Amino acid sequence: MRRRIALLLTALVAACGVLPLLLLAMLGLQVLRARGERSSQEALQAIAEQAAARIATYISQQREMLRAIGTAVGGEPDAQRRLTNASLDAPSLGKPHLVSAETPTRELPKMLNPSQVANAQNGNEVASETYIAELSPAMDVCVPSGKPGRAVCATLDLLELQRQVQRIHVGEQGYALAFDRTGRLVAAGSGAMRAAVLSGEPVAESPLASGLVKGTPAPTRLRSGDGRDVLAGWASLADLGWSIAVEQPAEEALRGARTALKFLASGAVLTLLISIAIGSAFARRMLTALELEERFRTAGRIAAGVTHDLGHRLTILQQIEQLAAMNDADYLPRIRESLAAEVATLRRFVADFSDLTREAKPADFLPIELNAFAESVRLGAQGYAKEANVAVEVERAPSDLWVRGDRYLLERAALNLTRNAIEASKPGSAVRLRIERSNGAAVLAVEDRGPGIAPDRIATLFESFSSTKRTGVHLGMGLPNVRRIAVAHGGTVSVKSKPGQGSTFSLSLPVNGDQSSSPLTPATMP
Amino acid sequence: MRILLLTVLFGCTASPHGESLIVRLAVWGPLARLSPHDEPGLASIAQPWVFEKLVSLDGVGNLRPALAARVTRLPGGRISLELRHDATFSDGDALRLPDVVRSVENAGLRVVAADGEFVVESRDGAIPTDALLIRTSIYRESGGAFLGSGPFVVTAETEYELRLVRRSPQRGRINEVRILSYPTSRDAFAHTLKGDANVIADLEARWLEFFQGVPSLRIVRSTGRSTDSIMFNMRIPREERVQLAAALASDHVRQLAYGDAKCAEGGIGDTPESLLPAGTTLRVLNWGPFERLALAARRALGDRGGELSTVTPRQALSRLKDGDFDLVTARPLAWPPSALSFNWRTGSPDNLTGYSNPAFDRALDAQDWSAAQQALRDDPPAAFVCTREQLAVVDARIKNATLGPYDLLETLPDWEVMQ
Repeated sequence: MRRRIALLLTALVAACGVLPLLLLAMLGLQVLRARGERSSQEALQAIAEQAAARIATYISQQREMLRAIGTAVGGEPDAQRRLTNASLDAPSLGKPHLVSAETPTRELPKMLNPSQVANAQNGNEVASETYIAELSPAMDVCVPSGKPGRAVCATLDLLELQRQVQRIHVGEQGYALAFDRTGRLVAAGSGAMRAAVLSGEPVAESPLASGLVKGTPAPTRLRSGDGRDVLAGWASLADLGWSIAVEQPAEEALRGARTALKFLASGAVLTLLISIAIGSAFARRMLTALELEERFRTAGRIAAGVTHDLGHRLTILQQIEQLAAMNDADYLPRIRESLAAEVATLRRFVADFSDLTREAKPADFLPIELNAFAESVRLGAQGYAKEANVAVEVERAPSDLWVRGDRYLLERAALNLTRNAIEASKPGSAVRLRIERSNGAAVLAVEDRGPGIAPDRIATLFESFSSTKRTGVHLGMGLPNVRRIAVAHGGTVSVKSKPGQGSTFSLSLPVNGDQSSSPLTPATMP
Repeated sequence: MRILLLTVLFGCTASPHGESLIVRLAVWGPLARLSPHDEPGLASIAQPWVFEKLVSLDGVGNLRPALAARVTRLPGGRISLELRHDATFSDGDALRLPDVVRSVENAGLRVVAADGEFVVESRDGAIPTDALLIRTSIYRESGGAFLGSGPFVVTAETEYELRLVRRSPQRGRINEVRILSYPTSRDAFAHTLKGDANVIADLEARWLEFFQGVPSLRIVRSTGRSTDSIMFNMRIPREERVQLAAALASDHVRQLAYGDAKCAEGGIGDTPESLLPAGTTLRVLNWGPFERLALAARRALGDRGGELSTVTPRQALSRLKDGDFDLVTARPLAWPPSALSFNWRTGSPDNLTGYSNPAFDRALDAQDWSAAQQALRDDPPAAFVCTREQLAVVDARIKNATLGPYDLLETLPDWEVMQ
């Protein structure tokens, strides 16, 4: 009981003090997590924009270089040889060559249509969409040669783009992806997705990329092709029609926030544990002090009760002594009866105290059949009932009802209730011992038709030394002892009473196992 | 009880087949049929796994016994061999001397004695015996098929796939190989990146970018055995060829032609263009994958750099025979040293430029490889520009993948797989 109270007190301390703090911390951590995600997405966005700017600059430089070469050598008589030599210094330009009306079709840039080629020959710069030539991204570009009717064309080898995209690392697992206008992956930092660059197969991000170019915003958190949640930053290159995605698995991106979350949660749990430990220690100390105080109070109440009752007995014994001192033989029978009554009273007094000291030990419990037990109680109370001219009746349950218990203690409890009922009954009336099964419990109800108990008394009826009779041996220990015995058997004792109509005390005990057959031979009264 | 124990033990021991990693090798181009002869087609990659040779090469180019139990060099360039007795063909028949004799005679060798041991020599004397011997696969014809004694045997052969399994499965080794042919290099690369294939070989350095950061694959490198070269027309006088070799086999040309790709050579010579003797312009004939090398060579020639013609291999061969060129790009064998004889030995069938250097021939006969190389430097048939490293990408679970030293994937049967 003491431990239970200590635990309850501790839980109360935790609930009132630390749990609100914990909830507050959790809320704060959620905010932290959301902010962390937003911050990661902003960082990815910035990286994507930087990458897009770099790629745009690179392609612009390549085209600028081709323009410079075209202008410088395109008009020379040995222009083709010079252009061929130029590819040594600018390998990314592939094989620059002259294109004129005489150029065979098979030598024309394959990704430019005839009108684009004609446009180029008229002195305009034209460029194809990016495509994958052999293994790397490429783009056909024609620039003016400086000589009417012919252009300088080249297939830009954009492998450098693949390198640039591949060099973008975010954390350990973050990578960049580049898509063309149609959503085709043209460069991938993720090794697992690089096959799609060569095969042209769409990836999970392809529709988002093509949508972005058309103005549809792309999500900043999405499910990648390998099934992982990723945070993403997006940027687009309007001129090229490309879009760049920089992705990082959410698990990695939010690792910092999660670590903080774990750290703070651990701190909160630790604080809670420390609080519980301290609370528990304080609760135990307080309970010890309370218990000590309660013991003194109980000892005082016992002393008061004992003093009162023994004082009463002492007064009677003094009166008997005075009668005996008169040496009158006529008083001898009265002296003898009085002494016998007082000895019996003091014996019961001692027996009541003895009951209080006997502990119920579940290991020693035996099966008891409650109908037979009630009969036994009735017989035990018969003498007292006869003196009071009160009948004791037993109302049996329809079938056997087994419990387990300490037979002596249960008899003391049942006799106590029965004797109280007899005392409360008017002469000529009856006390009924009713056995029944109720709500899965075996119940022994003791009913009387006495004056009943005042409602204000019922609440404290089972508390020690609460009896108001205080005549004879009524120390006020009877009903508390009944409750102690009931609780020790895993049961309860309760009372229903209406003033003027009588009272019913019910002793409820756990039913013992299967009731279909007798577990053991029924115990009988000795 | 014993039966139960055996059952448990048997149940807990996975078969080598069950654990083994299947190598799926991506190639691009026609496979053709696998044969023990030097034939075009990518199925030849599997040749060393199916058809054993009498000898193999160690890392420095020395002969070591393979199907032969013992190898002894004899005077006159002859080699004496003793056949291993435990070797069997894939049908279980023991390897017999007549099968070996037939194989080596079909490879340009002659068996001059066969008495327990047998002695072989080069049939025409132009190519050293050991150079021929390391190219000779031992086989037997049976029902129109070629049987080998190597660790692997062909189980299925189609236009697009060649399947091989190890004759005796070994735990922790590769027991099954599939050579998958794709129409283009892009397809082969894409399927490797996708995981359909887990080995791809003979890569250019620039394509390695694609495989970086792919956790399931790793890159394997080794020294190449061919050298990108610019061969000279023998009409050019020796002194001029020496100067040209110095000018063309230079770091400047290597940088122009190969960028950051690694070459085994370095700093052989760097003759400034101005030191080249004045003379007629030199025409550069180019074929195959050497366009940048040809361009770089022409630039290194300065004013003497003439017309650059890029032609098909067939046209190049025709013009070589006609002597219609000054300089021509090529990739002759450079390793093992005895292989130099194929291209530079006087009278060798593969000596297309008609190069003849008695000092070189003498050094070959004496098997003095350093003297042979010195003779080539003194009277250069070509500018040896760049011996590029060989590259492959293999499944990361393979522990000890190496390339070469002779055939690109000849060590595959010895590759170990992580358990």
